[in-house]
Amino acid sequence: MMADAATEDLVPVTVLTGYLGAGKTTLLNRILSERHGGKYAVVINEFGELGVDNDLVVDTDEEVFEMNNGCICCTVRGDLIRIVGGLMKRRDRFDGIIIETTGLANPAPVAQTFFVDDGVRTKTRLDAIVTVVDAKHVLARLEDSHEAADQIAFADVIVLNKTDLVSAEELAEVERRIRQINRFAVIHRTERAALPIDQVLNRGAFDLKRVLDMVPDFLDSDEHEHDDEVTSVSFEVERPIDPEKFNAWMGVLLAEKGQDLLRTKGILNYQGDDRRFAFQAVHMMADGDFIGPWPADEPRRSRIVFIGRNLNRPQLRRGFEACQA
Amino acid sequence: MSTAHFLIESRGAVRDLGAFVVAARFDRHGRIAAFALGDGTLRLADWSQPGEWRELPVHDGAVLALAADPGDGWITGGDDGKLRRTASDGAIIDIASFGTKWVEQVATALGDKGGVLACAAGKVVYVFDAAGMKLKELAHPSTVTGLAFDGKGKRIGASHYNGASLWFVAAKTDSPRLLEWKGSHVGIAIHPEGEAVVTALQENALHGWALPDGKHMRMSGYPAKTQSMSFSRTGKWLATSGADAMVLWPFFGGGPMGKAPLELAGGDGIQCTQVACHPKEDMVAGGFTDGLVVLADIGSSRILPVAPPGHGPVSTLAWNAGGSHLAIGTETGYAAIVDFSKRE
Repeated sequence: MMADAATEDLVPVTVLTGYLGAGKTTLLNRILSERHGGKYAVVINEFGELGVDNDLVVDTDEEVFEMNNGCICCTVRGDLIRIVGGLMKRRDRFDGIIIETTGLANPAPVAQTFFVDDGVRTKTRLDAIVTVVDAKHVLARLEDSHEAADQIAFADVIVLNKTDLVSAEELAEVERRIRQINRFAVIHRTERAALPIDQVLNRGAFDLKRVLDMVPDFLDSDEHEHDDEVTSVSFEVERPIDPEKFNAWMGVLLAEKGQDLLRTKGILNYQGDDRRFAFQAVHMMADGDFIGPWPADEPRRSRIVFIGRNLNRPQLRRGFEACQA
Repeated sequence: MSTAHFLIESRGAVRDLGAFVVAARFDRHGRIAAFALGDGTLRLADWSQPGEWRELPVHDGAVLALAADPGDGWITGGDDGKLRRTASDGAIIDIASFGTKWVEQVATALGDKGGVLACAAGKVVYVFDAAGMKLKELAHPSTVTGLAFDGKGKRIGASHYNGASLWFVAAKTDSPRLLEWKGSHVGIAIHPEGEAVVTALQENALHGWALPDGKHMRMSGYPAKTQSMSFSRTGKWLATSGADAMVLWPFFGGGPMGKAPLELAGGDGIQCTQVACHPKEDMVAGGFTDGLVVLADIGSSRILPVAPPGHGPVSTLAWNAGGSHLAIGTETGYAAIVDFSKRE
């Protein structure tokens, strides 16, 4: 792992996801047409929909490839590996890359590509996963598809769009459902996907240094959930973590439950180290790094967040607590 | 290496081209080197005439692929979806256009009838005659990631997800020999005598198929993805990048199965990114991520320093057909031609 690599040189990549008709293309057209001083290469699937003429638009077929390691959830976007490599040959022409996924896409392969491929990870950084949600139809989508929940679960930023088409009560219910799935994403309420572009681009949300900011205060809810529903849980421990115990626990946990664990993030207080350790995983693919010293005024507590299906709260809590030195 | 004498200092022509050098190739006569750049230009350097290198805008975007034209000049593919021919006098013509698809793979072969050209756009390989007339379209199950002719231009191989497809260029009906192996294959090389096909895998390993029986060969142990593969002139060795040395697999005496590869110019932890076997001798040029370029004698493992480190990861190496000149390019726009010819 590169220690404190010059992250400024890395091209920020924003993944734009969302169910069919949610308003992804509207948001993309805004990003491309508004003057905000940045130039973006855009990777899309449905070329015709984009109204903006841009020589940095790349047309691709999503090609989800299994990795040859016997694990069916270790999938990557083969087309993105090629496209990022190609775009890096004219790196001076753009400031960032935006990847639009198809409406039915599971965001995991895109995110995992940034863990798996060295060429991609040494030249780019996953900036944020932005999910556009249709306030009017999302509850129905959550009933009839896994993908809608996965897209919300993976989001760092949620653009809750078409709020003008629902009542205040309906909107509150939609937000409650989104929070049930993912308590940690930032939610922006919009009409016609109108919001300041800097709320979407260059968020640094996937940056390990920002993981802590994404973890709000801890509210445990006892609401009943179906087993196959996506939920999120988080835990905090007081005593320092033993890195060996944590790695052993996480290694087994991701190997056994990685398919259900969509995203895992943590800020850890490793015993004997004055720096914060940031950890994150997408399914079974994990990454971690020290991110500078603990602020003097901040208690050194370790926190971890799981977003996924079939989360066994007591078991996860006991496992994390047992990692204390 | 600080005390070493680098050949480029006395026998090189060096330029800073200011853009990513995607590929370098000499023309068929071996006199003019073309450097294809990420800014969409070709730079032409005639080593027999010192002076300015010619700059030609050939693609709107980046040039993504370059090959020598079987006749005169070069064939290029770009992210503008175009396949173009650039003559050595600088004349540029369109051969084909593929809309929004990138043309990332181009291959050419001398063969019969004046030669044959091929390119890949998405999942389809297009084959053209030497005049640029389309001969056929060959469809694949996923995007084509590598394209290579055999030594005689009779067969063309394409790598893709879950293996490679091998086609006869002159077949009346097109049905490929499917070489299957699970996983994402990202590059291909064909043995010059047609005895094997080797692909590079996403998982830092190579896979091979002995021909004609199709027996599998696995070559693993790379710390990084292999971006560059080159068979030696007789096919005795396959030189590869992806480790902190040039890794050469023996394709003789029952190899490569059960044989350890030969490692050349390694030991300092710097990764090899490009290899190019000499067209006449058992020698191989290697380029590294720090910009170092060396020439290695395969038999004796002796190393001749060619270009010093310090000018970006080596992104391409190419010999001219006679083996007298080597073209070098890096990701940061450094380009050079080094003269290896005997001097009086």
